[in-house]
Amino acid sequence: MKKFLKVMAIVLVVAMLGMFAACGNGDGGNEKAKVKVGFIFLHDENSTYDLNFLNGAKAACDKLGVEYVIKTNIDESNDCYEAAADLADQGCNIVFADSFGHEDFMIQAAKEYPDVQFCHATGTKAHTEGLANYHNAFASIYEGRYLAGVAAGLKLNEMIEAGQFKAEDAKIGYVGAYTYAEVISGYTSFFLGARSICPTATMEVQFTGSWYDETAEKEAATLLINDGCKLISQHADSMGAPTACETAGVPDVSYNGSTATQCPNTFIVSSRINWEPYFEYIINCVADEKAIDTDWTGTIATGSVVLTEVNEKAAAKDTQAKIDEVKAQIEAGTVKVFDTSKFTVKGETLSSYMADVDSDADYTPDTEVIKDGAFLESNFRSAPYFDLRIDGITLLNEKY
Amino acid sequence: MAVPAIELKGITKTFGHVVANENVDLVVNRGEILSILGENGSGKTTLMNMISGIYYPDEGHIFIDGKEVTISSPKDALDLKIGMIHQHFKLVDVFNATQNIVLGINEGKFDIKASTAKIKETCEKYGFEIDMNKKIYEMSVSEKQTVEIVKAIYKGADILILDEPTAVLTPQETQKLFNVLRKMREDGKSIIIITHKLHEVLEISDRVSVLRKGKYIGTINTADADEAILTEMMVGEKINLDIERSTPHDSVDRLVVKGVDLYNKEGVQVLHDISFTAKSGEILGIAGISGSGQRELLEAIAGLQKISGGEILYNNPKTEKVEDLKDKTPLQIRNLGVRLSFVPEDRLGMGLVGNMDIVDNMMLRSYRKGKGVFLERKKPKQLADKIIEDLQVVTPDTKTPVRRLSGGNVQKVLVGREIASSPTVLMAAYPVRGLDINSSYTIYNLLNEQKEKGVAVIFVGEDLDVLIDLCDRILVICGGRVTGIVNGREAKKEEIGLLMTKGYKAGGEADA
Amino acid sequence: MRKEKTREPLIHIAKRDVLPTWQSWLIRIGSIAAALIFCAVIIVLLTGENPISIYATMIKGAIGTSRRVWSMLQNVAMLLCVSLAVTPAFKMKFWNIGAEGQVLIGGLATTACMILLGNSLPTYLLIPLIFVASMLAGAVWALIPAVFKAIWNTNETLFTLMMNYIAIQIVSYFAYVWSVPKGSGAIGVINGTTHNGWLPDIFGQKYLINILIVALLTVLVYIYLKYSKHGYEISVVGESENTAKYIGINVKKVIIRTMLVSGALCGVAGVLLVSGTDHTLTKDTAAGRGFTAIIVSWLAKFNPIYMVLTSLLIVFLQKGAVEIASVFELNDSFSDIITGIIIFFIIGSEFFINYKIKFNKKEENA
Repeated sequence: MKKFLKVMAIVLVVAMLGMFAACGNGDGGNEKAKVKVGFIFLHDENSTYDLNFLNGAKAACDKLGVEYVIKTNIDESNDCYEAAADLADQGCNIVFADSFGHEDFMIQAAKEYPDVQFCHATGTKAHTEGLANYHNAFASIYEGRYLAGVAAGLKLNEMIEAGQFKAEDAKIGYVGAYTYAEVISGYTSFFLGARSICPTATMEVQFTGSWYDETAEKEAATLLINDGCKLISQHADSMGAPTACETAGVPDVSYNGSTATQCPNTFIVSSRINWEPYFEYIINCVADEKAIDTDWTGTIATGSVVLTEVNEKAAAKDTQAKIDEVKAQIEAGTVKVFDTSKFTVKGETLSSYMADVDSDADYTPDTEVIKDGAFLESNFRSAPYFDLRIDGITLLNEKY
Repeated sequence: MAVPAIELKGITKTFGHVVANENVDLVVNRGEILSILGENGSGKTTLMNMISGIYYPDEGHIFIDGKEVTISSPKDALDLKIGMIHQHFKLVDVFNATQNIVLGINEGKFDIKASTAKIKETCEKYGFEIDMNKKIYEMSVSEKQTVEIVKAIYKGADILILDEPTAVLTPQETQKLFNVLRKMREDGKSIIIITHKLHEVLEISDRVSVLRKGKYIGTINTADADEAILTEMMVGEKINLDIERSTPHDSVDRLVVKGVDLYNKEGVQVLHDISFTAKSGEILGIAGISGSGQRELLEAIAGLQKISGGEILYNNPKTEKVEDLKDKTPLQIRNLGVRLSFVPEDRLGMGLVGNMDIVDNMMLRSYRKGKGVFLERKKPKQLADKIIEDLQVVTPDTKTPVRRLSGGNVQKVLVGREIASSPTVLMAAYPVRGLDINSSYTIYNLLNEQKEKGVAVIFVGEDLDVLIDLCDRILVICGGRVTGIVNGREAKKEEIGLLMTKGYKAGGEADA
Repeated sequence: MRKEKTREPLIHIAKRDVLPTWQSWLIRIGSIAAALIFCAVIIVLLTGENPISIYATMIKGAIGTSRRVWSMLQNVAMLLCVSLAVTPAFKMKFWNIGAEGQVLIGGLATTACMILLGNSLPTYLLIPLIFVASMLAGAVWALIPAVFKAIWNTNETLFTLMMNYIAIQIVSYFAYVWSVPKGSGAIGVINGTTHNGWLPDIFGQKYLINILIVALLTVLVYIYLKYSKHGYEISVVGESENTAKYIGINVKKVIIRTMLVSGALCGVAGVLLVSGTDHTLTKDTAAGRGFTAIIVSWLAKFNPIYMVLTSLLIVFLQKGAVEIASVFELNDSFSDIITGIIIFFIIGSEFFINYKIKFNKKEENA
């Protein structure tokens, strides 16, 4: 037994030495007060959603030459708090998290580390929490979707002219994840973009109840096609809808990146958020000791909302030119996506609407969001809050 | 001298700290029957398993026909024409005899007709009487054994090893087997037969090799041997074979079993109308081929199996009340004040817990005693110490798991515990199975002690000599029926053997 | 005599005598060393990284800062808690792989109390109520398969596994019902401003209460298994059901009672997770601990005191592995590979403790 204790003691001593050696290594190279960013991602690079953040994070940090630490596969639980606190503890000046459900845990960590900036994408609570070091960010992706809608309208017009169907049958199908404002804002802007080109267009929306469910999205797209939809778009993350379109030969406007290689005959264009500008912004703010906006909304002008290249094979003629034209108008402010004169709710044009901007359990309307003939999306906070059910769009199921 | 069929030189095999064989030499010639004699645990089976490729020796050499060989699998053994008939048969129940015999033979084209013919020829040559189309599950133990032997011969074995072949046979069946073995010897085959029954050794073998505690003691020609010499070789000292038996006095009916019927889980009736009386101050033996319902009978009395008919009545000596034990759980029986002890056949699987130490095993019967939720280990510890001392249990300490003890010591612990609760009825199923002679006598003495204290002892045994020497009365059962109750002092072995097989021959007509 | 050319097996396996404790521990430590060397080879081959720095990173990741030490202790406590919960059932050879679901249901009960009663009951009533409700919920979830096993002898492995899925779906459903904002499917931090129903900080340490509760449970479970009549019955039933019947133990009763204990302990784990650390509930709240706990319990041979060590080892490996993935930008799967290899070696070492391998000596020709 004595011998055993001796062995244990030696092992312990060796382990302790290793520990101190390891600690010693960690303290080196800290003479330049550099910015260090910690990233928290819900999944890893196998998820398109997280990959989009991951690419932006690496690009921004490499460009500005700052140190960064990435933690992947962090659940929306106490793990997120642990990860955020650990990153702050490691000396990160900025901690970023990418998933909606991370928010509460980011706030928890932000309270504990007031000297560290906590930035959270898609969250809604920064403007009500009143923390100086907690920030939300999103992008006006509805602008990108509006442009994608323009491309869709052009395609519908081309098909009508070619005599494939009558103008009044120009029905668009849309596969959405949930009935959240984020999705409603997305399909409405897409629809308004399409209708600005093809005035007879209507839309049907099918929800899947998941951000990523390949089978459900495929089934939803097929159902819409069988229901007479002439063009499909989506707000969900899998390849389900694009592949269903390719199989059926129906034109498709996808999301989050080009699907041209998988769907060469039906892919028209896609919009996505580019997070690189935001990451550059927060890094520069910290480096220059400037305050970060509580709610930051990237726009088409800041390069946060981008469109992929148009697939000439599937798109209507001169689509790219038209997109560029409308894009310039949006940037100039001459075209507003949610122009209240362009849509009605239950047959009426709105002049006033109270939206739920301050997050609470029951979506209590709290803020007047219509001003100067337009719905001011992503103005009072970065995350979308447009949740109007406008005329011309039919929701096939609302269970999610 | 001719080259021996098998020669073993310096074979050693250990399992953990147990030395199963130590430096064993052995010679088997062509055309002879060699008995390997030794007590249980003397390493006979281990040695044979090394010849048949089940184990690989740690040290030593094996020669077949003078050439050194390596036997690292049963297939190697078969290639060297060695066949072994194990104690536990290795047959597929749902196949018939022929199918089992040809199973695993790979000789190109499979020709069942030719095989059948060859099997028939083999059977006729050696005088096997068996229906080759009978399914294994329909067969008696002796028939199964025959199939195993035919299988070995069919596969070309000319060295045949039989591990305790007579343990499961009636005297009549044993004679039949011996006849077959003699014919095979005439045919030039070498036969090794493992046994610990002296009279069989003397009857069948040409030479006897004796093992004691893993060591090779010596070989003598059977013609020069008698029981006393062999026993001395086996146990190392002269042992008095007599078991003392006192005359019962003041006997009263303690346990009355009337017309008990019992069905097993599969719905097969295993006990038919069993009736007997166990009296205080006497030992009632139960004889029968194993699997005739002995286990079920004892378990029914102990409340472990439900009987479907009849009654089990216990005369309580304290209250003088009669209690019916039918449909009672063991706990209920105990709570009635019935002091029933039971040494089951499966010692480590039922009577004791192998992974627990001796103290915790002592508690099995008594752990409920005392109030409160915690265990009281003081008294069990005292009991353990007492049993270790009184029964001379060989163990490092009371903290040793009982599975690490040898078979005899395990049994001493179990019997010691059962006796400690001062029972009025003591049931023991095969209490000396696998025990060496010294341990066996310790157990006989303990049973006799209990008898003299006025306990009604029920002893289920397999060795008829022991039953006749030890018991006052012997109940013989066959196929779940009582075929006779004989007086232990007057009974003849042949008489009991006949009763034991009566069920098979006469369709179970019982005349007790 | 001429020696035949035969297939001499190079090695053969023999059962060992019982090894002294220190020797078996030497083998176990040796196996970890061997695993580390083997992993080092894999690391160099697959990534080209220096294995020493990888191991240094592992140690740093697990215990590099005092925050990490606390975090590790908290994780050890949680894993240990679930391991303690599964142990009585496993010791009884009741293969309860439903701890995941039992923890979740316990957590659901905690969540329900916090949401529905959080603002109406004072803390000194709410916290005891949370414990009672959650233990009850976990116990009920364990009771169902136990009753089926006891009465109809159903396969408890499949049954408890299926109960996990039901628990996950029920939790998903309530996560939707109670989600903030409505429809988001995530409950978010419960009572984030009032802290009603949160287990209190002790000495400013938010995890200390969990650690203390689990430490207490460890001692209690140890005493229960070793010194109580119940514990004794569990051992007997686990070792041999026949023996249990032989001495008049009501096996069905013991199965049901033990599973109630197991389930209630899982319920406590649910409280500690929801009320103690996470303050929310998702279907991933148990985070696979119900399964990892089986390894912990088994490696420790069902001894609660050893389980402290085995859970520490596993959490240490997990924490270290995550740090490797982060620092070297290796995929998380890589750290799982390393953890897997090390655990494989540790389990494998049990073989070498029970058996020895003998190399056959080259023999001279006779």
